[in-house]
Amino acid sequence: MLVLKILARRGPVHGYGITAHIEAMSDDMLRVEEGSLYPALHRMEEEGWIKAKWVTTEHHRRARLYEITASGRRQLEQEESHWRAVTAAVGHVLQRA
Amino acid sequence: MSWLSRLANVFRSGQLDRDLNDELQFHIDARASDLVRAGRSPQQAALAARRRFGNKLALRESSREAKLFPWLESLLQDARFGVRILSRERAVTAAAVLSLSLAIGAATAAFSIIDALVLRPLPVPQPHRLVTFTYPRLRALPGAPPDEDRFSYPFLERARAAAASQVELFGMTVWGPLRSVTFDSASPSAAEQARVQWISGNGLAVLGVHPALGRLLTAADDQRGAQRPAAVLSYAFWLSRFGGSPSVLGRWFSLNGAQFQIVGVTQRDFSGAEPGWLNDLWLPLTTYAPPRTLSNPGFEPFAICGRLKPGVAPGQARAVLQAVFANSRKEWAADLLGGRVSPEQAARYVEARLNVKSAAQGHETLVRWQFERPLWILAAVVGLVWLIACSNVANLLMARATARRREMAMRAALGAGRVRLVQQVLIESGLVAAAACVIGLAFAAWITPPMVGLMGTTAVPAFLDVSPDARALSFLAFLGLLTTVLFGLAPALRASAASSVEALKEGSDRHSARVGLLRPLLAAQVGFSFVVLFVAGLLLISFHKLTTVDLGFSPKNVLLFSLDSGGPAVRSEQALSLQAQLLARLRGLSGVQAAGMSQWSLLGGVSTPIAGPPVRFPGQRVEPSRPQFLAVSPGFFTAMQIPLLSGRDFTEPDTRQIPSSAAIVNQAFARRYFPGQDALGERFERMVDDEGNFGTEEIVGIVRDARYNNLREPSAPTIYQPLSGMGGAVEVRTAGNPSAVAVSLRREIERMDASLRVTGVTLQSTQIDDTIVQERMLALLGSFFAVVAVLLAAIGLYGVLSYSVLRRTREIGVRAALGAPVYTLVRMVTADVGLTVAIGVVVGQAGGFALARYVASLLFEVKPSDFWSVALPLACLLLAATAAALPPALRAARVDPVVALRYE
Repeated sequence: MLVLKILARRGPVHGYGITAHIEAMSDDMLRVEEGSLYPALHRMEEEGWIKAKWVTTEHHRRARLYEITASGRRQLEQEESHWRAVTAAVGHVLQRA
Repeated sequence: MSWLSRLANVFRSGQLDRDLNDELQFHIDARASDLVRAGRSPQQAALAARRRFGNKLALRESSREAKLFPWLESLLQDARFGVRILSRERAVTAAAVLSLSLAIGAATAAFSIIDALVLRPLPVPQPHRLVTFTYPRLRALPGAPPDEDRFSYPFLERARAAAASQVELFGMTVWGPLRSVTFDSASPSAAEQARVQWISGNGLAVLGVHPALGRLLTAADDQRGAQRPAAVLSYAFWLSRFGGSPSVLGRWFSLNGAQFQIVGVTQRDFSGAEPGWLNDLWLPLTTYAPPRTLSNPGFEPFAICGRLKPGVAPGQARAVLQAVFANSRKEWAADLLGGRVSPEQAARYVEARLNVKSAAQGHETLVRWQFERPLWILAAVVGLVWLIACSNVANLLMARATARRREMAMRAALGAGRVRLVQQVLIESGLVAAAACVIGLAFAAWITPPMVGLMGTTAVPAFLDVSPDARALSFLAFLGLLTTVLFGLAPALRASAASSVEALKEGSDRHSARVGLLRPLLAAQVGFSFVVLFVAGLLLISFHKLTTVDLGFSPKNVLLFSLDSGGPAVRSEQALSLQAQLLARLRGLSGVQAAGMSQWSLLGGVSTPIAGPPVRFPGQRVEPSRPQFLAVSPGFFTAMQIPLLSGRDFTEPDTRQIPSSAAIVNQAFARRYFPGQDALGERFERMVDDEGNFGTEEIVGIVRDARYNNLREPSAPTIYQPLSGMGGAVEVRTAGNPSAVAVSLRREIERMDASLRVTGVTLQSTQIDDTIVQERMLALLGSFFAVVAVLLAAIGLYGVLSYSVLRRTREIGVRAALGAPVYTLVRMVTADVGLTVAIGVVVGQAGGFALARYVASLLFEVKPSDFWSVALPLACLLLAATAAALPPALRAARVDPVVALRYE
């Protein structure tokens, strides 16, 4: 979900960029494990939520940029609303208990 | 999209690996350069970045799995590896593929024939609702089904009306001779031959056939009086004769002097309702014969088929029709039977049961009736050959699996799971089976038409659509799969069972190498091939006895001409003189030794009538069984070389007597009716007309028994009469090769009289061969498969023995060095296998006896328990086994101790 959010906000980003963004925005509270990031990216790509393209960077290196798709945005909306519902529920429990 | 791209990725996994690598490396480098910017040294940064990243390879693998189907990829890998392995061991692979393709091809051929003849339903909607009707014959007809299926037109009409609410009935003629048809002309000169069926107007519609062009026949076409009745072409005939041109609809043709208008073409895959017979033309039933003939209840040329109405069981339809059947027979019995049968027979006639049979697979045909059982026997034989081939290949692979134990152990040690190892070996087997299927299909396509050809005769050719269709291909695929599992599974399990520690220890298994698991396979092979040999032997012995049966005449160099003398009445002065002139002319020709004429030729198959009119002796009742009759011209016995035992041949004055007063009988007649006496000069009375009048005949000669219409049964009492006109067959014995003069003789005969047409020329020997087509097919194909089976078994035996000698070379060397005599060494390697062969033979013999029960009805003068029936296959098998065992045994005997001990 975070990955999709980042992609939705920032447009095309490469894998390392996503890690860096998440870490920066969460003030290093969340650390993204590379071991789960790439398989997750590739799985999302196969699901059609994001698409990827190869570009050449200014240092003449091949980099892979990821971009969110329409179906990815739908998925993001779903997951966000789901997340809000869950956190709201958890909040309620925390308040009343 | 997802699975498609994953599928695509399987095939470009190299590119995928590179991409993943690039991407991950980029990540590491990017983090490293960030760290450098944060003030670390480049080396530290690179190290930290890599440490942070973790196991790149594992990561790549898990990403890969998201990108493609791992199982498919491993399959593909295994297939590639399999192809490499298989192409490395060319000899083994070729042997395996070849023996399997032979077996699979034969099985596919057998399947497509059985499917076309027996299994495949008619290509119409709801074929299972189609029914047909039969009733028991009054007298059994050798070589024909016990049930009769022909009805008269009056009965058809009654049945149709009575059962209208249960079943929609229609009548049709069944297979018959080719008819001469002339298109767009009334002249018979441009006639061509076509297969014609007369069918009720509603028939094709009731069957559920659709027109591909124009229309089909309708009930209105049954109305007589149309100037040109309608006719429908079959799709195949339309294509072959008219090139599929739509303009065919306007055209017409003439047949037997009547003209027909082409109104339509049937759907593509419909070739008639009779398996074994492809039809060209359909005509309205009522045009089959003149109205007077049609309305005669004794004229019974039509099969009755029908489609059950929804919700009606066959039994309900039968019950209604049985009443009609019984009533009609009661009404017509007096007319039809006359005084010619006993009261019991008449009662049986009236009370005959009408049977209903499914016609989902089409109406019964002679070809199907004759060949259904032989084909199943053949299928059993082919199945056995297939099993032999499978166990043979399993043997080859087993031996190889043992040889590959180290490879397998290595792979297991490197972390390959057992399932993966089984998969690897099964895929190799699958590749072999797939190759065998492809070659087998080609082999099947090659042998099927000649096999169908073996089922036909010149008189009744077999037509089957055996082009490989979806059913045959699915059978092939299923067979291939089954083959893979059958021959691949055991070696696969064996190979994967390798314990890595043991196998990797060099040479540890040298001494434990015995034939082991190969033994049951070998026994099975020997057993199966013995069954095939045994059954083939029975069929071959039986066929040999049939072909060498004492005919009582000599068929060698006898040409048969079938005559159609349309002009002069058969019994007229003119016909009589034509007979005399024709025979005199033929006898005068060079190259002709003798010539005769008869009503029909001897051993003409089912078309030979078997009983003549009733006979009685002066002052006695009519004999319960009727002797066979044949009217023959003077000189017939000379032409056929049937020896005259006493008395005289017919003379020309005999032929002028109508009704005749002279008769010649065979020995069987004399024995039956005049036992212990001389029949010559005795008299008997024979019914001469339909009113039941008898005429007296004197026996003027006695001839030797000659086979009349059946090779299997001894000659029945036969009366020969003088032929008082033109007969249906001319027999010419030639001095040299009869085929050389056949054409000129035919022209000679047709030149005698304008009305005389020769409708067929054949050799008497060919005609006899035609009566034993089933037996010939079984004997030929049976022996072919027996040879294949023995060959396969011998190859298997050879392989196992060679392998065993190879593995035990050192042991043999040690024994030889210690002074063991040569024969002990040979016995050492062969004893084991000898026992296996013996077990196989015993089991095979039991199986052979079991299968022989199904063959028994086709056998002639040979029993499964006869000495030769058992000795012949046993000798063949032992011979083959010895031949196969000899080379490896010799190799064992020649082992040089010095070489063998240095073998390590």
